[in-house]
Amino acid sequence: MKKLILNLFLILGFSSVVFAQVPKGDVLIQNATVLTITNGTLEDTDILIEDGKIKSIGQNLRQPNNVEVIDAEGMFVMPGIIDAHSHIAGTSINEGTSQVTAEVSMEDVVNPMDVSIYRALAGGVTSIHLMHGSANVIGGQNETLKLRYGTTNPDDLRFEGAPRTIKFALGENPTRGGRARGIQPQTRMGVEAMIRNAFNDAIEYRDEWAAYNANRSNRKIAPEYDLRMETMVDILEGEILVHCHSYRADEIYMLMNVFSDFGIEKLTFQHANEAYKVAPELAAFGASASIFSDWWAYKLEVYYSTAYNAAILTRNGVNTSINSDSGELIRHLFHEAAKSQKYGSLSDNEALRLITLNPAMQLGIDDRVGSIEVGKDGDIAIFDKHPLSTYAIPQMTFVDGVKYFDINTDVADQRIMIDPESTIEDVVIFSREDHDMCMHEESIVNFYELVNEEK
Amino acid sequence: MKLLRILSFRLFVLLPFLMAPVLVNAQSDPTGESPVTRTYAITNATIIPSPGAKIEGGTLLISDGVITAVGTTVNIPDHAQVIDGTELWIYPGFIDGMSNTGASRPDAMERPNNLFTPDPPNDYAGITPEISVVEQLNIEESSIESMRKLGFTVSHTVPYGRMLPGKSSLVLLTDVEHVDHMVLKENVATVSQFVGAPGSYPGNTLGIMAKWRNIYRNAELSKRNTEMYASNPTGLARPANDRVLEAFYPVVEKTQPMLFNASSLLEAQRAMRLQNEMGFNLMIGNLEQSWKIIDELDNNNVSVFLSLDLPEKPDEIDDEDKSEEVAELEARRLEFYNRYMEQFAALKAAGIKFGFSTMDVSNSKIKKNLIALQEFGFDSTDALAALTTHPAELLGINNITGTLEAGKMGNAIVTTGPYFSSDSDVKMVFVDGDKYEYEIKEGSKTEVSDEVLDAVIGTWNYSSTTPQGEQTGQLIFTNVDGAIEGVWTSDAGNPDIDMNNISYRDGVLTFDIEFDAGGQLIEIVVTGDVVGNEYDAEASIAAFNFSFPLMAIKQDPEN
Amino acid sequence: MRSTKLLLTILVLVLGSTLSFAQNDIMRQARADKFALTNATIYTVTNGVIENGTIVISNGIIEAVGANVTIPTDAIVIDYEGQEIYPGMIDSGTQLGLVEIGSIAEAQDIREFGDITPQMEALTAVNPNSEAIPVTRVSGVTTVITRPSGGVFPGTAATINLFGYTPDQMFAGSKGLVINFPSSGRRWRQTQEEADRARERALKTLNETWDKAELYAEIEGTDGARYYPEMEALARVVKGEMKAYIEVNAAKDILSAIEWVQEKGLTDVVFTGVAEGWRVADELADAGIPVITGPVQSVPTRRSDAFDAAYKNPSVMQKAGVKVALRTNDTENSRNLPYHAGFAAAYGMGREEALKAITINAAEIMGLEDQLGSIEVGKKANLFVATGDPFETSTQILEVFIDGYQIPMTSRQIELYNEFLDRVPGLNKNPVSTDQ
Repeated sequence: MKKLILNLFLILGFSSVVFAQVPKGDVLIQNATVLTITNGTLEDTDILIEDGKIKSIGQNLRQPNNVEVIDAEGMFVMPGIIDAHSHIAGTSINEGTSQVTAEVSMEDVVNPMDVSIYRALAGGVTSIHLMHGSANVIGGQNETLKLRYGTTNPDDLRFEGAPRTIKFALGENPTRGGRARGIQPQTRMGVEAMIRNAFNDAIEYRDEWAAYNANRSNRKIAPEYDLRMETMVDILEGEILVHCHSYRADEIYMLMNVFSDFGIEKLTFQHANEAYKVAPELAAFGASASIFSDWWAYKLEVYYSTAYNAAILTRNGVNTSINSDSGELIRHLFHEAAKSQKYGSLSDNEALRLITLNPAMQLGIDDRVGSIEVGKDGDIAIFDKHPLSTYAIPQMTFVDGVKYFDINTDVADQRIMIDPESTIEDVVIFSREDHDMCMHEESIVNFYELVNEEK
Repeated sequence: MKLLRILSFRLFVLLPFLMAPVLVNAQSDPTGESPVTRTYAITNATIIPSPGAKIEGGTLLISDGVITAVGTTVNIPDHAQVIDGTELWIYPGFIDGMSNTGASRPDAMERPNNLFTPDPPNDYAGITPEISVVEQLNIEESSIESMRKLGFTVSHTVPYGRMLPGKSSLVLLTDVEHVDHMVLKENVATVSQFVGAPGSYPGNTLGIMAKWRNIYRNAELSKRNTEMYASNPTGLARPANDRVLEAFYPVVEKTQPMLFNASSLLEAQRAMRLQNEMGFNLMIGNLEQSWKIIDELDNNNVSVFLSLDLPEKPDEIDDEDKSEEVAELEARRLEFYNRYMEQFAALKAAGIKFGFSTMDVSNSKIKKNLIALQEFGFDSTDALAALTTHPAELLGINNITGTLEAGKMGNAIVTTGPYFSSDSDVKMVFVDGDKYEYEIKEGSKTEVSDEVLDAVIGTWNYSSTTPQGEQTGQLIFTNVDGAIEGVWTSDAGNPDIDMNNISYRDGVLTFDIEFDAGGQLIEIVVTGDVVGNEYDAEASIAAFNFSFPLMAIKQDPEN
Repeated sequence: MRSTKLLLTILVLVLGSTLSFAQNDIMRQARADKFALTNATIYTVTNGVIENGTIVISNGIIEAVGANVTIPTDAIVIDYEGQEIYPGMIDSGTQLGLVEIGSIAEAQDIREFGDITPQMEALTAVNPNSEAIPVTRVSGVTTVITRPSGGVFPGTAATINLFGYTPDQMFAGSKGLVINFPSSGRRWRQTQEEADRARERALKTLNETWDKAELYAEIEGTDGARYYPEMEALARVVKGEMKAYIEVNAAKDILSAIEWVQEKGLTDVVFTGVAEGWRVADELADAGIPVITGPVQSVPTRRSDAFDAAYKNPSVMQKAGVKVALRTNDTENSRNLPYHAGFAAAYGMGREEALKAITINAAEIMGLEDQLGSIEVGKKANLFVATGDPFETSTQILEVFIDGYQIPMTSRQIELYNEFLDRVPGLNKNPVSTDQ
């Protein structure tokens, strides 16, 4: 749809955004055990990264001049971990005031100065999917980021070239929002209707513009521009991948039916605690699941969960990833993935795929990251032990060949922006409910609504 | 209680003594307030006609609103009032690059019945770019006098509101009978800010950015449609009128800049992001964190008004045994304090001409902060430029004001010494050629009288019966550099709130507080009698049109 | 009879975690009997590691442990060759049994109304049939402290074994009164000023209430003394009859709490939370106050702290000489206790000390060291059999014994796995195969 409108704005003087130049590094990692994901485990192997890309993988690689060499003997090298569901590095999470807010985008609220970014890097994470919250049925567009910590420019974190994605949400959260505001949807029936309405409106909008553009004389009044509908049209045309917050099997099934009707194919279910119940249907549709390793029972719709979800989905041929949705869990996603070995005995490679290639596929960035292959980005995590061991400690993390975490030179205070009026001993006692979880974001009470409802 | 009543009451209380020039044509003036002559000659003064220049023993002649001569040899007309300027300094009148000075905050809009939160009416959503700040100007606003007293003669005043509150104007800080007479230039910029509508769309930055793009794109389309229709309507469907989109036409045409209220680095980057996408002329005001985006501001040709709301210098723990960790953290915090303070010099070094914004700073801190900047490579000449010539240029009024030159407006400040030092006072301010005179207090610099000290300063325990039940907490009044400052605390664990507009006169203590209820500012005005250690007051929320009683007992300072 | 049991056990071993329908059908109930667990590597915790060892369980008690144990003729013998046996893991801080579903107020019995509710008994509200209990115990966590929260004196925590049909059957014999020490730290979304004021109020409540409790303890039982259930509960702590679990996290609060405890002359005191214990580890060690800390997998308390501050916290305290037990502070995922211990081990504590922190140290802190926390003759038979190091996620837990009962190795999560791994019908319901 952008194309239709673009012509017009070119006439009107549209200026395109220029991407910031991000640093690219060169590094030679020697003598490591390399967990490639796509080509097995390579012992005693070197990896050469040049200008941010993996240039060669092999034994006894020639050392180019002026390239940092890292002796990784006894260490394990894996692709940088990818978190397909995160809310770190964002200043706002939900535009929850409307049931459909496809027009909003997390790219507008990226906060590159969040210390959580560094802490994620210290857990081997190199890319995150910064998601809109789950307060509304069709929430905002998400933003795929590379964790290039140290900058104050939000644009520096963008995963340049990553496909656009958008958040949908089903079940308790959007219906609770409906009840709080006295609007639809208040049931899972209403959620379906809302999605169908939005797509049908988009089709109408597309037709209106197509008619305008098709036979365009100079003397025609242009239709109204609607960024929300533009975005919905882009979903219909397959330009935006849908990531849908969901828990129960019935609602997961419902969305697949709706998408079949509208011919939309690219679909990942987020959380999807009951995806295991419709694993054959997910596999047949070609939908993916991005799930917690073991979270359950924090609300009714996750009461009938099982930690064996990842194993059941994997065995049924569903592309599955393990995500964090939390500023805490993101620091040890390797460990979260490892739990799939306890719950369903996934192989090492299957477990590692849950946090590398599989989420990369879900985000449409698997041509760039998710495995250690020549030509892919130099996004690498180095561990002292096998990353699926509980005892593994991340040692170094590289993005585009640039080292952003090194445990040997780690210093405690990693803040980029400090409020001069802040107190030195600023202690925050977290409870586990406080982590950056989207399922809690919409619980903020609005004073104004309260006061007025009491009247 | 109606807000207006409180407002005027408060104004009455706050009105300082001053000569209020009244522009009347009639020759008779039973109030005796109008001046005998509007020709003033200040002689033998130290004159700073523009930043970096200096005339010793000079004379400034202002006649009928216009500067007619500046220099050491000036012919003084016989009908002039001659003021001996020996030991006095004269500066061009200051220009405030962004503030609400002169505007009154409109009553909060009632939440419409059956509000459909996804699509609220424009005024509730805060989308009113068609409004001129002139509609909010109020000749009785106390801010006019308080800012003038600091030397400000012109304010770039923006309207109160939310996402798109309206259009700004240049306002003369002068006492007039009608707001129109204050307006130097209307519709200078269209104002945007990252303030969401309470509980409805757009609720926060996410929605605001999207809505903003949507409006801009439609304004482009609408402008084109409208022009097409105007040139020849035959056979065309008539484009609908839309005041919001029409208000954007001059921005789209680049004949009017878009002024973003963007205090943080991220907000400024968002404003520039929209500018990069759309290509409008951008002003950024109220900016507190500029040092990381100097190149971008320069490349994007942004007109910048840096906030004068500077951080307090952090206190360090005075303990030799403090841990290395604490010492390091203090050093890092100080480093950031320095960055805030040094950004003014850094922008200057990059060749960026910028002005100041006083929007979020309390009056008592403005001069103090200007002086503090001198230690950070931003000297009095730089400060004066940012208060006069630079904003004049950025706002397109450098041909009429910003310097003391013959032919320019009679905007000037007369001080008892160099302005940018703590021991000088403003003695007179000329705005549009009218003289405002201030009494210079000898001795103690404090403006808080002993009476106020005894009656008000201290901690009060209040209790108040609100619709939510009994609320308790403390009212803490302190004397900060000669001004009363107050903090409202709540035992229910709500955040502390700084009080505004605190006044105490004739036993009546009045203040107001604002708090953020989901993006909307709600104002409570508290007023009542102080008798001994008891305060018997009424708190009013104009937005909801109700009031409730508040009682407070002052703590014994011994305890 | 004996051979059937043996067969069954072998079946369990062979099938590992992929339990069959047959096993579910037969093993729904726990079984009490005399057991001999043979040929296993036994991690006693208190007496080293025994290779090829045997454990005899009789009447719920460990009757014999060692490499050369005579196996009673009437015991069911289970050969655990190549497997490892550990004492049941103890999670020293959970809400197990009190919270069923996190977002539903009606499904939570954790916080009573009021700031001063010390007489509230967590044990009373424990739901023995909570779905989270089987989920937790099949992971080898056999014992937990379940504790109320909120206010200054939220109530009395209890140690429970994760098997039994009434609270009394679950009660492990130790209680402690929870005190939330006034916190200078902020909670999420709270400003420092709000936190400071809340702290001041809480401090006032704490001290004024404590004065009353001391007075009550003094005059209790005298003629005309009034019955005051809140003070009666507190008086038990005043008189040293009841342990106090004092929740305290920020470094300066820990120091204040040490002072407070000493000033009040309390000796049977445990600090819980202790998130910033690493900052004041020496002072804690000097005070001789044991701690229950965790969750280990936590974000640091300060934005200026190192990423691994929470991971290292147990290790720093332990090395300074503090007795450390661990907790998850969780409900449904208390099963992750071994991984919290594993992180503590990796970040400096070492495997052996980390294992103690979830076994014998916890038992000692609760005063249950004669019953729990190690594999020793005379102790309760709370133990589990694993294919390897329980801190590793690749390890499977094969068998769990609680109070000598062989626990059914199932939970709703396992049942759902069995039902849905290869769902019937699969994608198509209709063409039903008639071949079967």
